[in-house]
Amino acid sequence: MTFLKTMAVAAVMTLATGSVMAQEASKLQEVLDRGYLVLGTGSTNPPWHFMDSDNQLKGFDVDMGRLVAKALFGDPDKIEYVQQSGDARIPNLVTDKVDMSCQFMTVTAERAQQVEFTIPYYREGVGLLLMANGDFADYAALKAAGDDVTVAVLQNVYAEEMVHSALPDAEVDQYDSVDLMYQALNSGRADAAATDQSALRWFMVQNPDRYKDAGYAWNPQSYSCAVKPGDQRWLNFVNTVLHEGMTGVEFPFYAASFKTWFGEELDVPKIGFPVEYK
Amino acid sequence: MNFSLFLAELWNARMSLINGLGNTVLISVVSVLLGSILGVFIGLVMTYGGWFTRFSVRLYIDFLRGTPVFVLILACFYILSVVGFDLSAFQAGVLALTLFCSSHVGEIVRGALIAIPKGQTEAAKSIGLTFGQTFIYVLLPQALRQILPTWVNTATEIVKASTLLSIIGVVELLLATQQVISRTYLSLEFYFFAGFVYFLLNFVIEQAGRAVERRISVP
Repeated sequence: MTFLKTMAVAAVMTLATGSVMAQEASKLQEVLDRGYLVLGTGSTNPPWHFMDSDNQLKGFDVDMGRLVAKALFGDPDKIEYVQQSGDARIPNLVTDKVDMSCQFMTVTAERAQQVEFTIPYYREGVGLLLMANGDFADYAALKAAGDDVTVAVLQNVYAEEMVHSALPDAEVDQYDSVDLMYQALNSGRADAAATDQSALRWFMVQNPDRYKDAGYAWNPQSYSCAVKPGDQRWLNFVNTVLHEGMTGVEFPFYAASFKTWFGEELDVPKIGFPVEYK
Repeated sequence: MNFSLFLAELWNARMSLINGLGNTVLISVVSVLLGSILGVFIGLVMTYGGWFTRFSVRLYIDFLRGTPVFVLILACFYILSVVGFDLSAFQAGVLALTLFCSSHVGEIVRGALIAIPKGQTEAAKSIGLTFGQTFIYVLLPQALRQILPTWVNTATEIVKASTLLSIIGVVELLLATQQVISRTYLSLEFYFFAGFVYFLLNFVIEQAGRAVERRISVP
């Protein structure tokens, strides 16, 4: 009897929650009615989100937002950008300042308690950038030098831990922005800059022969867009758009963007059995 | 430092930097104007109000002056939107700077007013001036001479504090500069340039203040 009662209560509660959810207006409808997407992203971190010389926001994060706008309105330009600092990503979502944020946001369990992450659209790793004519040849030389090495890194809660997992004895200097970090490397204040593989590759392409990659990458992390928690319909929609960008009808859009910012030509997803279940 | 490269990039970025400068000036002018109007009112209440209003306004002033501008800006942007006032980043930033400015101007005005000997108010009363007339014709002209130098200081503080609006995404001169740096990686050059522009801006304000001071000084 008790068991049956429990089941009945559970069933009623499920139904009640379900109908409440259905009645609540989804962000999806709100955005469609409004006619443009409000995208939170930064403006100072190429190749993810930055102002080009025509003062237009560009980058891979921006392209992910454009992909969603294209899916919503058939027009990737129907976006109002909210330029936010990294610290503002979660507060701006929670206070409804933006519909979604795509701002090289590392998926962590702590953040997932405050916002809801979409499926990842990029897998980032960390590499070490060296001056081509610097004192250290490669990763082995850096590691051998122990605490004689100073590593510049972008400010982050996990920055110190992250560098030490590759170079346990190195001094770690944290910087506020990517350009200051490169400046530290240029001026010799740091011997290496620990930075994302994506940024590293983009920077080396822009400054040929000046820098080299130490040849070691570690610290995998997923980049996802994020939405305010509690709106499954909107989350599902964004997930579907990103998923089809990476595997389906919008693959050419995603692949063209990937080529532009990371210089890599992606293979077309294998036709036939869906790649994600391999 | 590659000077010709910097000049070329500066020329490329001129429009976004000018827009940023325009925003900085707009934010500063609006905040200082609104803050001063509110501040004069606060100063009057502090000087002539009853004990209860004086006490509440004292709390307001001490709270605002004891809080970092940075925290004020975040509070205006996030806390207000939780309560239901959905301000844009620009409006929230201007509001924060206005409040900050008003608390400083309030103290300046109060100080200037109580520095005027009580005998003058009594004299004005004795020749039959109303409070409004006393204030406008007797107290204010004298108080203004006291207020001006510190008020100019507050204005330059507000110009500098406007850089903090970059945190909530208002593209003023500093954020515009950072955007250019993120594209060009010329951080020292552009930060130096932005610093120089801020200096020029404040230099102009201070010189203008001095000029007015000279004009209104009692010979």
